[in-house]
Amino acid sequence: MKRRQLLKVEGLMLRFGGLQVLNDLSLSVREGQIVGLIGPNGAGKTSCFNCLTGIYQPQGGRVFFDGRDVSHLPTHRRARLGMARTWQNLGVIDALTVTENVMLAQHQRAGYSALAGMLGLAGTWHRERELRRDAAEIIEYFGLEEVADERTGALPYGVRKTCDMAMALASDPKMLLLDEPASGLSPEEALGLAGTLRELRDRLKLTILMIEHHVPLVAEVCDYVYVLNFGELLTEGEPAAIQRHPEVIAAYLGGAAEPTEPPEWPLQPEGAPNGTA
Amino acid sequence: MATATMVLTRVKVQRRFGLALRVTVVIALLALAALPLLLGGDVWAQRISRAAIYAVIGLSINTLTGHAGQISLGHQAFVGIGAFAAAFMASRLGAPLGFGLAAAGVAGAFTAVVIGLVALRVTGLYLALVTLAFGLTAETTIFNWREFTGGGAGAFAPRPAVLASDHAFAPLCLGVLGLVLYLDWRIVSTKTGRALAAVRNDERIASTLGVNVTGYKLAAFSLSGLIAGLAGGLFAHWNQIVQAMDFEFQVALVWVLMTVVGGLRSRLGVILASAFFALLPLTLPNFLSSLPWQPPFLNEAVYHVLPPFIVVVMLLIVLRCFPGGFGQLLRPATAWLSGKRQS
Repeated sequence: MKRRQLLKVEGLMLRFGGLQVLNDLSLSVREGQIVGLIGPNGAGKTSCFNCLTGIYQPQGGRVFFDGRDVSHLPTHRRARLGMARTWQNLGVIDALTVTENVMLAQHQRAGYSALAGMLGLAGTWHRERELRRDAAEIIEYFGLEEVADERTGALPYGVRKTCDMAMALASDPKMLLLDEPASGLSPEEALGLAGTLRELRDRLKLTILMIEHHVPLVAEVCDYVYVLNFGELLTEGEPAAIQRHPEVIAAYLGGAAEPTEPPEWPLQPEGAPNGTA
Repeated sequence: MATATMVLTRVKVQRRFGLALRVTVVIALLALAALPLLLGGDVWAQRISRAAIYAVIGLSINTLTGHAGQISLGHQAFVGIGAFAAAFMASRLGAPLGFGLAAAGVAGAFTAVVIGLVALRVTGLYLALVTLAFGLTAETTIFNWREFTGGGAGAFAPRPAVLASDHAFAPLCLGVLGLVLYLDWRIVSTKTGRALAAVRNDERIASTLGVNVTGYKLAAFSLSGLIAGLAGGLFAHWNQIVQAMDFEFQVALVWVLMTVVGGLRSRLGVILASAFFALLPLTLPNFLSSLPWQPPFLNEAVYHVLPPFIVVVMLLIVLRCFPGGFGQLLRPATAWLSGKRQS
């Protein structure tokens, strides 16, 4: 029994001047899957995310989300359909506190118009209190209560990263696009993340597409993996098959593809464990 | 158990006492601020109106620059168009004051949206240049359009009989200021404020969180223009005559600087700094020339050009020592008054 495709990308083409960033990239993610997007630095993974969320307008190709063609929708409209993302260099607003950031992420489900809020119409006060309560719950789930009223700009990297994740969830999405969720985490924390991701999928019925360099994590949680190299799809498949794929090894190691023995796992996480992305 | 209850009661009593004290302090401060209006005669009533109008302008710039992070060096255009619209309504059409002020607000908002549409394409330094050019152009074109503004002679903006005295007019200005303060407070306390903070800091992040960046930018421009236009309408009736020279670039520059000196996103700071810069040119020259000892080479003419220098010096001090402006200096006091715990 195959579940329906939540995200489908067909023939994505993205050029910056003479540089072909993405070339005829197609992929799909089914509901309830955790899918990995891996590839060496500069392969076009984050650019792909930017095309999916509408930050970049690709020259060709189409993006379908939840059964509709979103290729020409602006970013905020795609977000409202249930697409949430985290950022490699963090999607928190430094000038706001953790609570305010999470409440910012609730923007699309605030349920009142900006004008109503500005005029202080009756329902908005009540709704603000509800949003604040929901935010407090999310903050507690992620163990951020201690820093709830601190400005995120003053917090350490790991905490801000957690806040970014909390924000992605606060928007009540159908799908999470995670850009290197494990970067900056210790190896143990990264494996702990595997449990969190699975819980999100199983309890909140989320579908996840993630860019990740931390290979043990990818092998652990992903149902399916796409490998990107120089903007093109190198291969795709289940993690176990991917890690023995000669071209993948070559792309990562930069050498000739001649695996003489079954490799343990040749793809080293870049910069991990003390890595910066 | 008993001790725990006692401790709790004491905390409650202290809090209640703290609240009573805070309310007393606020009332005392407001009363102190109202004193000149009650006791000061027409001159002070007039000055307070001017201070309130400046504060409304400061809050207008605060909406645009403080909340949305967009710069405008052409605010004299928005305020001026509001002023001429109000004067036109009052003297040509004989419309009631309320209609005149509404027209002023709409005219200001409309003008600001036009600039806002440009701001969607350019940011930062280029936006500053565009708004600067727009303000200067408005001065020489719209404000000198004889049929609308009366050309060099200016346009009259008579007050209705009930508001003829300065003492009757000042509460109107303070009322509008109160209204704008309320709007500002609701903006920062709702999703609008959070969305604007996101737009100000990172448009990409804002958009992926579902914030319509374009919409919020335009909304900030139109609201800022609306408030500026309202202030212009009040100014027209305050002065009872509007001339193009009232809205020169230097004035707009002072408005932006006073908002920064007051502290972006600090309501109290913006009000205090605006009032200060509204009254400085009126009071300082008289005060200095009334001093018994006059330094050589200085005279009243020199004193009249002092205020702009003072603005610039204060700006430098603020930028160097406390970038949050007056608002930052006042934060301990405002935090106590609002009942927030100091950590």
